[in-house]
Amino acid sequence: MNKTALIIITLGLAFALGFIFLGGSDTQSSVQNVEIKNGVQYVTIDAKGGYSPRKTTAKAGVPTKLIVNTKDTYDCSAALVIKSLNYQKILPQNGETEIDLGVKKAGETLQGLCSMGMYNFKIKFE
Amino acid sequence: MNKYTFHVSGTHCASCKILIEDILKEQDFVKNAQVDLKRETVKIETDTDINPEELAQLLTNKVKSNGYTLSVNKSVVRQDLTTAQNGVIWQALPIGLLFLALFFILQKSGILNIGIGGQITPIASFFIGLIASVSTCLAIVGGLVLSLSAKISQDNISDTKTFILFHAGRLVSFALLGGLLGALGGAIGINFTLTAILGLIASLVMLLLGLNLIGVFAKSKITLHPGIFNFFRKIEHKTLTPLIVGFGTFFLPCGFTQSMQVAALSSGSFFSGLLIMVAFALGTLPMLALLSFGSASFAHGRHASLFFKSAGVVVLGLGIFAFLAGLAGLRIINPLFSI
Repeated sequence: MNKTALIIITLGLAFALGFIFLGGSDTQSSVQNVEIKNGVQYVTIDAKGGYSPRKTTAKAGVPTKLIVNTKDTYDCSAALVIKSLNYQKILPQNGETEIDLGVKKAGETLQGLCSMGMYNFKIKFE
Repeated sequence: MNKYTFHVSGTHCASCKILIEDILKEQDFVKNAQVDLKRETVKIETDTDINPEELAQLLTNKVKSNGYTLSVNKSVVRQDLTTAQNGVIWQALPIGLLFLALFFILQKSGILNIGIGGQITPIASFFIGLIASVSTCLAIVGGLVLSLSAKISQDNISDTKTFILFHAGRLVSFALLGGLLGALGGAIGINFTLTAILGLIASLVMLLLGLNLIGVFAKSKITLHPGIFNFFRKIEHKTLTPLIVGFGTFFLPCGFTQSMQVAALSSGSFFSGLLIMVAFALGTLPMLALLSFGSASFAHGRHASLFFKSAGVVVLGLGIFAFLAGLAGLRIINPLFSI
């Protein structure tokens, strides 16, 4: 194969990699994962091979609890880190974990990460 | 006392300088040896009276097994090799990128998110190990194994022994530490910040070795401080080093490993903790063994140079990924991506 063809293939692959990393689903989830029960706001996130939904908008000024669901979760998303809360825990492989977020002000964003850093989710308070 | 200057070929790495000098100085008739990597020459001080051609041949015999040749005249073959090397990088780049693309597509596809269901038995943890060895954990543990293996094969160190020691060290330390977790029921290690820092160190090693394998260092002959290379060469040769690196992989950030550690922790006894971790490590063994022994067989084959450069591209890509993810994990930067 000549050099020009190889350079073109290289560039094509570089674009493909860029698309894999930066493209994809960063949109708001259509699933209703915020619920207010007895004055407490519950935000539910599924953890398995990443977090879903990736972006959530919740109400500010309401006591909020985060519920993380795990189901056969052995990958990194089970190793949850929420830096702003100083929260670090390896979630059970199956089950629900409740995390108290307290009352958040409008404009605050809470970010959760897995310990290796390649999965994340955001909750925005409005 | 006679002084000679010989041309030396085969110096692909900065640590070659130390290796050649050490071997030459071991000969009792050689008083001093000094390698100049830039000029590809070696200066010898000796008290024998034999002619330079014979001396060059004699010394070549000592270093030949390490891939070096000494000659009185600059060898022309070397020149042809370097022009050929330039073309190789353009073959290596697409190959390396293709592997990276396939790897990350595999991660994104969700195929790896299969359920095992229920309690973690040693059999389940074996399968989890199989999955883990092709998951994002491969970016760190596998990337490290690939970069170290390729480097070790390139440096012509007795690679098979080193790899066996590494894998044995990994299995034994997973067994012992798993057993300890089960027996103590808590409290050793699994500190997130510590594992994240270890992950960063691993990714830096990968970046450095990746560049080295591609030949960036060799081309411009950037000589890092000789002391550093001396240090690396010394530890490369130690029997203990691969064992310790194998041991260290227990603490590298990998979600699967951490899940299994928790499972071992809650298993309640030394023996069951040991079984879970050993089964997990055995599950990861086929892929990791393929990486290390695969690089050894490629390294001694005809396409060695293409292999080293392709491996360098893969390692560099995984290193960048692990480095950025590691920084995000420590909250030093905002996560740039989510696979």
